[in-house]
Amino acid sequence: MKFPRISGFLAWGYALLLVIPFYYLVVSSFKENDDIFTNPLKLPATWDFGNYGEAVGSADLVPAVANSVIVTGLALALTLLLAVPAAFALSRSTGRAGRIVEATFSLGFLIPTFAALFPTFLLAAFTGLFHTRTFLILLLPATAMPLAVVILTQFMRTIPRELEEAASMDGASTLTILRHVHLPICIPGIATVVLLCFLSFWNEYLYSLIIIGPDPAQRTIQVALPTLQLTTGTDYGVLMAGTVFTLLPVFAVYAITQRQMQRALVSGAVKG
Amino acid sequence: MSESLSRRTLLTAGGAAAALMSLTGCGAVQALRPASGGAGTLVVHSQFNGAVAGADVFRAIVQQYRDTTGRSVATLSNGSDLPIVFETSVLAGKEADVAIINMVGKTLAWTDAEATIPVEGYLGQWGLDTRIEPGAVQEWTTPSGHLRAFPYTRTNWPVAFNTRLLEEAGLEIPLTSADLIDAADRLRSKDIGPVTIGGGDWSGQKLFIQVIQSFLTADEAADVFASGRFSESEGAVAGIRHFAELRDAGVFVDSAQGFTSDSMLTQYNTGKAAIMSSMSSALAKVPADRAAETTIGGWPVPPGAISTRPTVIQSFNGMGVWISENGSRKLDLVEPFVQWLFSDEVVAQFITQSGRDMNAVTDVTSDRFPLVAQAQALAAGDSVDPVILPDLLIPEAVFEPMTQATAQAFGPGTSPEQIVDVLEASYKNA
Repeated sequence: MKFPRISGFLAWGYALLLVIPFYYLVVSSFKENDDIFTNPLKLPATWDFGNYGEAVGSADLVPAVANSVIVTGLALALTLLLAVPAAFALSRSTGRAGRIVEATFSLGFLIPTFAALFPTFLLAAFTGLFHTRTFLILLLPATAMPLAVVILTQFMRTIPRELEEAASMDGASTLTILRHVHLPICIPGIATVVLLCFLSFWNEYLYSLIIIGPDPAQRTIQVALPTLQLTTGTDYGVLMAGTVFTLLPVFAVYAITQRQMQRALVSGAVKG
Repeated sequence: MSESLSRRTLLTAGGAAAALMSLTGCGAVQALRPASGGAGTLVVHSQFNGAVAGADVFRAIVQQYRDTTGRSVATLSNGSDLPIVFETSVLAGKEADVAIINMVGKTLAWTDAEATIPVEGYLGQWGLDTRIEPGAVQEWTTPSGHLRAFPYTRTNWPVAFNTRLLEEAGLEIPLTSADLIDAADRLRSKDIGPVTIGGGDWSGQKLFIQVIQSFLTADEAADVFASGRFSESEGAVAGIRHFAELRDAGVFVDSAQGFTSDSMLTQYNTGKAAIMSSMSSALAKVPADRAAETTIGGWPVPPGAISTRPTVIQSFNGMGVWISENGSRKLDLVEPFVQWLFSDEVVAQFITQSGRDMNAVTDVTSDRFPLVAQAQALAAGDSVDPVILPDLLIPEAVFEPMTQATAQAFGPGTSPEQIVDVLEASYKNA
């Protein structure tokens, strides 16, 4: 009986450790610099949203969030569109070719981000898509395919072949089997991929900076936000407000997908 | 969570994304339309954005230009990452026509690398030779005689003294090192911090360099900072010894080596420290009540120094107006815009509304930013000795290691010899 109590205590303690920085971020977003530096953990004197207005106005955060939504949303859709059929095929393949293709996808994990930057830049320039959101929308799925395919392939392998055979006997095509048999069962796995890819795409900075470029009408939130940081005299209240503003979509997506992700993590743990 | 809910959630999310994209497609979201870079549009890439002083003024004057001339101007912006974005744009042949950015680090190589064009030929042609301070033109000229860009903003680096706090401790503004050490003692006895500084970042590096320069002629300083041979310069060694004396006498606030320029500004603004070495753009951020009890001066004179008066770092280095290779093909669009930037009207707006120091010849001072105006008057007078801002001399690769070395110098217990060693190592290892 002691162990659960200790582990519960540790879990709550760990949760508290995670909450403190978030609390600091939120309360600081309602303060001036002087208050942030002198009373870092104290509640703000007033809950004035002036810093938020300043952050959104100064750094053009509204179009930046819209751009991030466009880039992340379309890149996610493209990732799933490519990864789900690929994973389905790989999970059902029994030959050597399938194993080689799966291993090739896994090799993608070995490519460092920086190593791909210059060739990617050359490709963007060559295709005439440099300084466009379109190129990034096409590029991001390529960076996410190894993870998405590996996760979904493992997930689909757990689906009994009998279900597929029964559907085939009822005259279902391969596409119908994927849509009506595999996809519903794979929702937790897909949610996991969506969440991981969303975080990766939303937080992407380097390629967004270089490829999309300096146009405030096109830049993503990760490129817009640093414009609130100055060489000297940064208004940290405004910077924190901008940061909170950009975190809201992340929390929303996590709130939507976290239950499915938990299901994905424990699926197969209990026979039923 | 049921599958049906997941499907509904997915449909809702997909619908929202589709709606947003259709909005952008049909032009309802004007803000998301990419800036046009056509033949009739001037594209300007600047650091006047976000929270930078003057960003709102820049937006306004560009709009005024569009309204009065009917010309099309597209504005692009970045912060400190502008150089890398501009350089990759150059490689792709898609750089902006004009870049407005500091002359520091990577940008020092732009003229020789032909990323931007030399502009000395347009100085007289566009009537800017009488509009820009001659000293600025000189500072912005390469060793091979090419003017890199039209120098636009500049900086003064004086010292702010809180006279109320000094008076509380029975002090006047310190003019010598002895005065400063005495002031530090008395301020500490009143629980007031003496000199606040961001010892861990560039602001500490600048003050350290300023102290050393009191013992160097301009030529010696140029040689020492370019070569990094501190141990071979008697003046530099004397300056470092003096810096260590000041540090050990408690002149700098406790834990200065861990502070940044932002913590320095906050300590001064909250009255926790009485003295701050600060560039003019930071002076513009001192609140009115604190500014009212602040007097601007120079860094006190050390014994045996070459400088006979308090020193102030003065530089014509700030943002300049660079013309790119693409811009050189649109000079008919570039010329009127650059002339507009240097017009009395626009320069006055920058000075009065954002507290910027400008390289343009002007009599305008800012009432809204009294400390910046004080700093300008001080620089124009003869009560201080100017010292150089060695940013143009220190090799780019040395900047960061040198800042780490000066952070160690602010740490208690680091001997002058150790400071010399870490400084020289920062040059050797860069």
